[in-house]
Amino acid sequence: MSVDLNLSRSNRIYRPNEPLEGKIVIKSPSSFSHAAIRLTVNGSVTLQIRGGSAGVIESLYGVLKPISIVNKSVEVKSSGRIGSGTTEIPFSVLLKNPGDGNSETFYETFHGADISIQYLVTVEIQRGYLHKSLSATVEFIMETELANRPDQAVSPEMVLFYITQDTQRQTLLPEIKSGGFRVTGKICTQCSLSDPISGELTVEASAVPILSIDIHLLRVESILAGERIITETSLIQTTQIADGDVCRQMTLPIYIIVPRLLTCPTLYAGPFSIEFKVSIVITFATELSKLHPKSDPRTPRPWLAMESVPLELVRTK
Amino acid sequence: MEFRPRNYTSEEESHSLPRAPADTHPLSPPSPSLLQVDVVDHGKNEFYDPLRGSDANVMVSLDDLQDEYKSSAVNEADFELPTKGWTSFKKFLMQRFSGSKMVSISPMSDVIMKSGQVREKASTTMHLEELDDPQKFAEDGIKVISQQVYVSRLHELKDEINRAWQANDRVTSLALAIKVARLLMDTSVLQFYPTLFVLATDVMDMVGEMVWQRIKQKAEFSEDGNVICSLPENFEAKDICIDAKETCSNWFFKIGSIRELLPRIYLELAILPCWRFLVDCPVDVVQRLVMMTRGIADPLASAYCRLYIAHCAQKLPQQYSETGYLIICINDIKNLLTRFLSAEESTDENFAERSKSLISLMEPTIEYIVKCIINDSNQTRAPNILVELGIGMKQTQLVGKLPCISIILHHFLKELPSELVSSNAMEIFQLIECSKDYSFDQCLNYRLLGFRISESRSQFDIINAVVDKVIEVASEYNTLDEFLKVVEAYIDIILQNQMDNKLNMIMDGIVKRACNEGIAENELISLQSIFLKLLAHFNNLEDIFTLSHFIEILDMMHGSARSMVNMHILNMATRKGRIHDPTIVQFLFEVSQSLHDVLDHSNMKNDDSQQPARLISRFVNMVDYGPELERHLAFLLECRAAFGGINDLKETLVHSSNRLAVKAMKDGENHASFVKSCIAFSEVTIPSVPSCVKQLNLYLETVEVALLGGLVSHSDGLLDSAILCLQNMDQMDDLRLPSDVDGILSLMRKLCSLLVLVPGNPQQGVTHVLRNMLALISSQSWVSSRTRTRLLCTILSLAAALSQFELPYHGNPELVLGNDRLFFGDPTYLQELLSLSASTLQNLVDNIMQEPSLVARGRMALEACNCIASSFNLSPEVLPFVSKLMETAKSCLSSNDKYLQSTIKFVDKFSSE
Repeated sequence: MSVDLNLSRSNRIYRPNEPLEGKIVIKSPSSFSHAAIRLTVNGSVTLQIRGGSAGVIESLYGVLKPISIVNKSVEVKSSGRIGSGTTEIPFSVLLKNPGDGNSETFYETFHGADISIQYLVTVEIQRGYLHKSLSATVEFIMETELANRPDQAVSPEMVLFYITQDTQRQTLLPEIKSGGFRVTGKICTQCSLSDPISGELTVEASAVPILSIDIHLLRVESILAGERIITETSLIQTTQIADGDVCRQMTLPIYIIVPRLLTCPTLYAGPFSIEFKVSIVITFATELSKLHPKSDPRTPRPWLAMESVPLELVRTK
Repeated sequence: MEFRPRNYTSEEESHSLPRAPADTHPLSPPSPSLLQVDVVDHGKNEFYDPLRGSDANVMVSLDDLQDEYKSSAVNEADFELPTKGWTSFKKFLMQRFSGSKMVSISPMSDVIMKSGQVREKASTTMHLEELDDPQKFAEDGIKVISQQVYVSRLHELKDEINRAWQANDRVTSLALAIKVARLLMDTSVLQFYPTLFVLATDVMDMVGEMVWQRIKQKAEFSEDGNVICSLPENFEAKDICIDAKETCSNWFFKIGSIRELLPRIYLELAILPCWRFLVDCPVDVVQRLVMMTRGIADPLASAYCRLYIAHCAQKLPQQYSETGYLIICINDIKNLLTRFLSAEESTDENFAERSKSLISLMEPTIEYIVKCIINDSNQTRAPNILVELGIGMKQTQLVGKLPCISIILHHFLKELPSELVSSNAMEIFQLIECSKDYSFDQCLNYRLLGFRISESRSQFDIINAVVDKVIEVASEYNTLDEFLKVVEAYIDIILQNQMDNKLNMIMDGIVKRACNEGIAENELISLQSIFLKLLAHFNNLEDIFTLSHFIEILDMMHGSARSMVNMHILNMATRKGRIHDPTIVQFLFEVSQSLHDVLDHSNMKNDDSQQPARLISRFVNMVDYGPELERHLAFLLECRAAFGGINDLKETLVHSSNRLAVKAMKDGENHASFVKSCIAFSEVTIPSVPSCVKQLNLYLETVEVALLGGLVSHSDGLLDSAILCLQNMDQMDDLRLPSDVDGILSLMRKLCSLLVLVPGNPQQGVTHVLRNMLALISSQSWVSSRTRTRLLCTILSLAAALSQFELPYHGNPELVLGNDRLFFGDPTYLQELLSLSASTLQNLVDNIMQEPSLVARGRMALEACNCIASSFNLSPEVLPFVSKLMETAKSCLSSNDKYLQSTIKFVDKFSSE
């Protein structure tokens, strides 16, 4: 005996003003009776404080109380019997009540390190006291409704950057410092989620050979805990754009597809905010860098040069 | 028994056909009314009559058609480049670089080593980050495995990917494909890299095809199997349903999350055609991938990556084809090489060795991309390519630009349309001049330019300037090898445009360098080609002699190259009719001598020796000293001494000396001793001819000449030698075929006809030669019964002819007395002939009776009857033979047989007389 939820859209993406539709599929070898079949839609923001800039006391709190976005329960079927074999029960649930107007609180789905915005739909079949109730849960993905999206596709705002031995705050290895290097380019600071993060980069000079140039996509999650804002930056994705000591004065494209689920439009809510940034990291080929092939890109190292720029992600039409 | 008296003159008159003058010459072209018939004939069978003038035109046009067909076939092959071309290119890659057997692999290639782990990971969750296999770098983790193991492991991986896909575990398939692509990051395997590339891209292509099929299916069929639509070949992105688009972009999301650059590019290339489900013009994507490839610093890895771009871009529909990105590819390779070549010039030899092999590894990628550029671009776009290459710019603009890399230039030069090469010859020359790097030998580019220019007609002034420059450049080369490599390519141009002073400069250059260092083997090949071109162009020995240094250089040459040139000289000289000029004869004689000296005399039968031998014989045959007969004979003597190894030549010598003798006789006055020496020359020369049949033929020819000159004693000796020759026939292997026997039969008949002229020798008896022949006929094993019948008939006829008061023909009556005069009315003479005839007649009939085959016996009997009836009066002595033979013929043949009937009539006519 099993129950499944099949959503009407294979990509499971819904918008607040759209009904959540699908089928409840019950498979049973024999017929049985039930008390009721209920469908529950639950959307919430889970906040968690750990490590990062959180102090000892805050980390003791651990999980903060989740912020509920939507919580709805509807009875799809009142008590009755379900026949043997496969039974399909279609359903349609309005996520947002038509009168509610503002749907900005329907944040887009996001799975971060400390902040998680998740929408779940659960079906539950109660079968009286003697039997365990059957249930199934499926996550669906929330996207901003079309009407609330910026009208025009964001004009890609580019920022110019240049990275030299003098722009680095951390100490560099003496040969890198003395030999000098200069990497310039541009990268967009505002980007539609459906477009790649674009830009270009040129190694103008570098005395020490380059091992690799990577673009890190980082998320910056901030949570208001009491009086303090606890911010944590974590890595989403690394994309290499140069492998080895590339030709000087040659323009390399920056082209990074923004991963789904792990990103969402940049969000400033009261109790929390989700921001993003990209950092361009140049790894020089030195003895030391060979010893530390995989280091946390957030930590400055003497064989790395980096530059970070904030990135505003938007959901466009 | 008596011979039938004959009057040959009246018989000829009564039997010869009436003659009337013809209106047209039989060999002239047929009149138009006949032409139609001929054409029809021509269509039916392939028979080609070389004498029919008008038909030749038809043949030519047919040839043209065939040529056209051939060239169109070539074009078709070119168009197939995307599919078939790639397969053969891959094969070529694997074969070209199959040197090393062991491969050192870096720990990065752990997918090769730890096959167990792959399965373990396959079952893990499908989170994106799982695709990113943690790399384990170890300082000294380099392991060595055999190439075979590596290859078989790659095949296993391919199977695994396939299996996982079939099991709907596409994430595993992708994960494995990424691992395979990652292998391409490791270029430490060097010589193995092309093989690795072929195997890995096989996997990529397979994955790409599977993804394409899956998305296409999603676009065409709904989940429950209903047909949504059927996609046409040239579908557009709007035809694709949302679901399929979703799946498609999912793939690009997954691939986009690969951390490393190289595998990310390869995977996106693998599924490049899938962009068509999302956008209508994926050319921008290709452009971006080309730019992304710039991030790969390793020259080998990036070159092969660009090769894969060129390959994958061809999978896009043709209307998107654009060469812009390929030109960027080539320019990027150029930049990479420029940097690479300049960086390494300073360092040690080991590095130079490594970079040489690196360049040879990269060469196929350049070649392929250049081919794609030239193939894809039509005529109008080709000039743009030149601009991209830096051609068509002014000299000042070129200064700032990087010089072209010679190996890239080489491949462009190879592929560019020839008209473009010709019209931009000077600019291309300047490009070559600028590119002096060691990736490709500069002089070979000059050489290629020459060959390309000569492919099409071009303006004289351009060509002239280029040739000037090239000779200037070439004259700076110190070695003959380089000098020849360059100038060889320009010889055609120089000859066609009659740049005589340039030709002289080249010849000077060759002599100067050859004197210094001699001529090596590979240089001989170039020299040979130059000389053959000169010979083909001038086609006249006098002009060749005026060429400075020609003979000097020829003398310095040796080996097969020299023989080849010598053969061409001889061939050319002997095609122009008789050779009179003594200096030319002397020169050709020396040429022949040098040719003869290198012949393999132990094996004259093989083709290599036949051609020179034939040419020398031909030369000897064509020499003509005109009235200086003595000198000509001396020349023949000289030839006999010099070319002892050539058997065919001996025949030529005999023919020539006989011809000389006849010529002397025609000239008249005071020739007797000269003719004698000619005959003596022939007589001495003939025994060294190996074939008996040929000897016999030559003897008979010489007998004729001797008789013509009235040298009776010579002819007697020669006849004896001919008979001796016949007796030796048995020991020779000449008589394998029946046709050989027929040949001898006709030679013996010719001998008999000559005997009519030869005065009988009273000491030896007039029938001396005939008796010898009879003995020969009965003793020799090669004489079949049919041959014997015919020979006996011939002898009977001869005896009958000799018995006449007036012989049918005579030699020169002043010099040779015929038997009719010599033995006029001599009864012993007639008696001797009759007794010989009687035994011959008996012999003949016995021989026929022994023949086992009925038909053959019948035929032979008829032949004999005809012969006997025309030779003898049918007296009671002869009649029994005739009637016996007629009975035999009647019993053996059907009564309807025409030969039988006509013979019966013939015999009846005589018996009724």
